[in-house]
Amino acid sequence: MNEVFTLAVSAILLAGFYSAMAYGLGLIYGVLRIVNLAHGGIIMASAYLTWQLFDHFAIDPFLAIPIALVVFFGVGVAIYLGLVRFLPRGPAGAVQSLLLLFGVWLVIRNIAYLLFTGNEQVIHTEYATSSVRILGASFSVARIAVFGVALVALFALHLLLTRTYLGRAIRAVAQNPDSCTLAGINVERVYVLTFGLGTALAGLAGVLASALFAFTPSFGASELLKSFVIIVLGGLGSIVGIATGAAVLAFAEVFSVYVVPPYLTSAVGFVLLVVVLVLRPGGLFGQRVLR
Amino acid sequence: MAGFVVALVLLYLAPVVLPISEYLHNIVGLTFMFMAAALAWNWLGGFVGQISFGHSAMFGVGGFVAVRVTLALELPFLVAWLIGGLLAGVYALLWGHPTLRLRGPYFSIATIGVGEATRLIATYWSGFTGGSSGLSLPLAENPTKYELYWYGLYLLAAAVAISYWLRRSRIGLGLLAIKEDVEAAGDVGVNATLYQDVVLFLSGTVVGVCGGFYASYQAFIDPQDMFSFDRSIGFILMAVIGGIATVLGPIWGAIVFVIIQEFLLANYSELYLGLYGVLLILIILFEPQGITGLAQRLRRRIRRPARPPAVAATAERSTV
Amino acid sequence: MPIELKLLDDTTDQAKAVNLAQRLITQDKVNFFLGTYSTALVEAQSTVAEQNQIPYVTGGGAATSIYAKGYKWIFGTLAPVANLADTEMKWIAEQQAAGAVPKPARIALVWENTSHGKDFRKGVQDFTAAHPGDYTVVTDESFALDGKDFSAILSKVRAAKADLFMVDAHLPDFITMQRQYLSSNMCTKILTYGARGTESDAKAALGQTGVDYILSAVWWNKQLGNSGLNKEFVEKFTAKFGSAPEWYQALGYEAARSLFTAIAKAGSVDRAKVREQLSSLDMDSILPGGKLSYPPAKGGQADYPFVVQQNLPDGSSPIIYPAEVSTGKGVAPNPACKG
Repeated sequence: MNEVFTLAVSAILLAGFYSAMAYGLGLIYGVLRIVNLAHGGIIMASAYLTWQLFDHFAIDPFLAIPIALVVFFGVGVAIYLGLVRFLPRGPAGAVQSLLLLFGVWLVIRNIAYLLFTGNEQVIHTEYATSSVRILGASFSVARIAVFGVALVALFALHLLLTRTYLGRAIRAVAQNPDSCTLAGINVERVYVLTFGLGTALAGLAGVLASALFAFTPSFGASELLKSFVIIVLGGLGSIVGIATGAAVLAFAEVFSVYVVPPYLTSAVGFVLLVVVLVLRPGGLFGQRVLR
Repeated sequence: MAGFVVALVLLYLAPVVLPISEYLHNIVGLTFMFMAAALAWNWLGGFVGQISFGHSAMFGVGGFVAVRVTLALELPFLVAWLIGGLLAGVYALLWGHPTLRLRGPYFSIATIGVGEATRLIATYWSGFTGGSSGLSLPLAENPTKYELYWYGLYLLAAAVAISYWLRRSRIGLGLLAIKEDVEAAGDVGVNATLYQDVVLFLSGTVVGVCGGFYASYQAFIDPQDMFSFDRSIGFILMAVIGGIATVLGPIWGAIVFVIIQEFLLANYSELYLGLYGVLLILIILFEPQGITGLAQRLRRRIRRPARPPAVAATAERSTV
Repeated sequence: MPIELKLLDDTTDQAKAVNLAQRLITQDKVNFFLGTYSTALVEAQSTVAEQNQIPYVTGGGAATSIYAKGYKWIFGTLAPVANLADTEMKWIAEQQAAGAVPKPARIALVWENTSHGKDFRKGVQDFTAAHPGDYTVVTDESFALDGKDFSAILSKVRAAKADLFMVDAHLPDFITMQRQYLSSNMCTKILTYGARGTESDAKAALGQTGVDYILSAVWWNKQLGNSGLNKEFVEKFTAKFGSAPEWYQALGYEAARSLFTAIAKAGSVDRAKVREQLSSLDMDSILPGGKLSYPPAKGGQADYPFVVQQNLPDGSSPIIYPAEVSTGKGVAPNPACKG
C-alpha cells in the first residue's frame, strides 16, 4: 500500500512536468494545425538560458520563468514571422511545416553546441535534493515546485482562453478560421500570438526541466516525443485534455514496472500512442478543440 | 528509359575503367544503398504524401533478420537480405495497415511512436539483436566492401524501376488521387487501403534489404544505430533535398547527403546539424521540389529564348 | 623512425567511423591504427582493421564483446568494465570481513542497458557467484538512457531492503537518479554509480553532501601520479596542456605508447611483426597494477584492476583500493545513514 501511494504521488508529480512540457505543442497544433518540431529545441534552449541566468546573475530557475516566457514569446513570434508565415495552410503546409521546423530545431541545436559544447550542464539549487514528508513518504521539493508551476500554468491558460478577448479569438480561429475573417478577427495576428504563446510555454517547460535534469544540446528530443504522446492521448488540441494525457502517460510509465521491465517504460508511451491513434484518433476523451 | 540503362551500364563498368581509389569506390557503393532507401521512403512520403518518421524500424528489422539468418542458416547473403527485406515489409504492414488510415501529421506522429517503440524493444530483446552489444557477421563469408559496390547498384536499379512503375502505371494515378483526397479517390474507384498497403510493403521491403546491405557493409550492427531516430530523419532529408515526390529526386538528395556526411563533416564536424537545418529551411521556403525543382528552373531559364516558357514548363514536368 | 600522425574526427557517427578508417587504410596507406572512442564505434571500426589486417590499438572501447570475436589485430587498452565492479566488490568484501557490511549482504543491482552496464552487471554477478553465501542479489533491473523518473526502480530497491546499491549509469541518469534517491530519503550502506561521482559536474549538480561516500572506480586517476612513470606523465601533460590529465587522456597515452613500444621492438613497420610484438607485449605502465599487456586469452584486451575512489565530506576523493596505490581510507557503512 505504502509503495503504491509513493508511486502514485511520484506519477502525479511527473504528470505536472509532462503537462507543462506539452502545453506549447498542443496549443500551436490546436490553432494552427502545425506540429512544431522545434518544440524540443526550444525546451533545450530555455534550459540553457536558465542555466546562464543562474550562473551569471544567480537568478533562481523558478524566478527565471517570467524572463524565459518573454524571451521565448519573442523567439516564437520571430519564427512565425520569419518562416512559418510563408507556408501554405492546409495539408500541404502541414508536411512542409514539419520539415521546416525540424530544420529550425537542427539550427538551434547547432547554435547551442557552438556556444556551450556538448558537455552536460546542471543547475544546482539548494533544494535540488531536499525533500518533504507526505503521509510518511518523502518527495522531492523541486518536483513538487515544478508540479505547482504546471498547475498554475494550466489555470492561467484556461483563464486566458475562456475569459479574455484574445482567448476567445484563439478558440474561434481554432474552430473555423474562415468565418473568423468574416467576423472581423485578424486571423494572421491570432496565429502570430498563438505561435509566440506556444513557444513561450515550451520555454516554461525548459526552465522546469533545467531544475530537475542535466541537459546537453540534444536534450529535448525525448521531451518532444513524449509531448506527442501526451497531446494524442488527450485529443490533439485541448488544454485540459493535455493535462489528462500527461497524467495518463505518467501513471502508465510509473506503474508499468509491475508489468514490464523498467527498461521498457518509455516504450509503453509509444505503444500507447500508436494504439490510441489507431483506435481513437480523437484521443482517449474524444476530439475537443481548445475547450 | 534508354538513359537509365546507359547510366546503369556506365556505373557498372566505371570501377573497372576509371582509376578511382578504393575508398571512393566503397563510398559510392554505400551511396547506392542510401539512394535506394531514399527512393523507397519517397514512395510513401512523396507519392502518397504520408511522411514517415519511422523508417529506421524497417531498416533495422531487415538488417537484423539478415544477420540472424546468415548466422543461423548460413544462407548466401543475397538470400539473407531478401528474407530480411520481406520480413521488414511484413513488419511495415503490421503497423502501417492500421495507421495509414490516419492522414498528415497524425500519421507522422504515429510513425515516430512506431520507430521509437521498435528501437527500445529491439535494444531490450538482446536474444535476437544482441542488445546494446549488437551483432557481428563473420568476416570470412561476408562480401567485401569492394564487391558490395555492384550489389548496391543492383539494389538501386531495382528501386529506380519500382519508382517508375509506381509513377507510370495505373497505381501511380491512384496514388496521386489518394494524395489529393483520400475520400474522393475512393469515390472514383481507387481502393485506397490496398494501394497504400502495397506501397508501404514495397517501401518497407526495399528499406529492409538496404538494412541487410548495410549490415554486410559494416559487418557489425547494433540496435541503437540501426533503429535510431537520426536514421529515419536521414531518409527524409535525402528525399526532401533531392525533391520530394519526384521520381528520381531522392537520388540527388542521397548524393548531397553523403557528400555532406563524408567530406564536409570530417573537417567541419561542429557545423553539420546547422548545415542540414539551413538546407531544409531554404528548400522548404524557396524550392519545395529540392534539387529537382532547382534543375528544372535552371533548364527553363536556359531554354527560355527558344520556346515559350509555359509550354517548356509543362513539357518538363511531364517527363519527370 | 619518423612517425606521422593523421587525425580524423568521426563525430561519434558509426558509418563515418568505418568509412574514415577505410579511407586511412586504403587511401592514406597508414601502417597502424589508433582507434576511436566508445564501444559501438570501436566495434564497427575494428572489423575494418581486421579485414585489412592492420594492427589496431584503442584506448576507447571497453566492452568485452569487441574482443570476443576471435579478431587477431585488435588490442584494447581499457580493461573490461566487469573489472570495475570486481574491484569495487573486493573492497566491499574487505569491509564485510571487518564487520562493516552484513553477511550475507543484500545487493540491489541497477544498470543502464548498454554494453557498459551489462559488463558491470556481469562483474557483480561473477563476484557474488564466486563467494556463495556472502551476497544475495535482491534487485536486478536495467533502465533506458536519459530517464526522467526513477521512482519505480528506487521503490523496488527500497522494498528489497538492499544494503548495497550498485548502479551503473552515465552522467545525466546518475544525477537524476541520485537526486531522487536523496529526496526520497533513501540511504544504503554502500552506494556506487560505477564510474560516476567524482567529477566536478556531479558535485555541481548534487552539492557536496549529495555525493558524500559515493564509491566509484576508474581506469586511471591522476592521484596515481606521485612516482615513476605516472609522475613523469602527469608532469609532462600538465606542462604541455596546462591542466592535469583525465583518465581517457591517460588511456590514449598508453594506447599510443604501447603501439610505439611494439614498433620499436619489431624494429620495422611490418604489420605482422608489430602485431606479434603487441600480442606478446608486457611493458611497465602508468595503469593500476603497473603493467600493460594484451593477453591473447582475453582477445587482446588489457586486464588490470581499477582504482576505487570514495567521496569524503571534505571534498576529497582519495583512492581507497587497491591498498598499494591508496591515498586515503574508505568509510563503510555510510555514516550519513541514520539508525
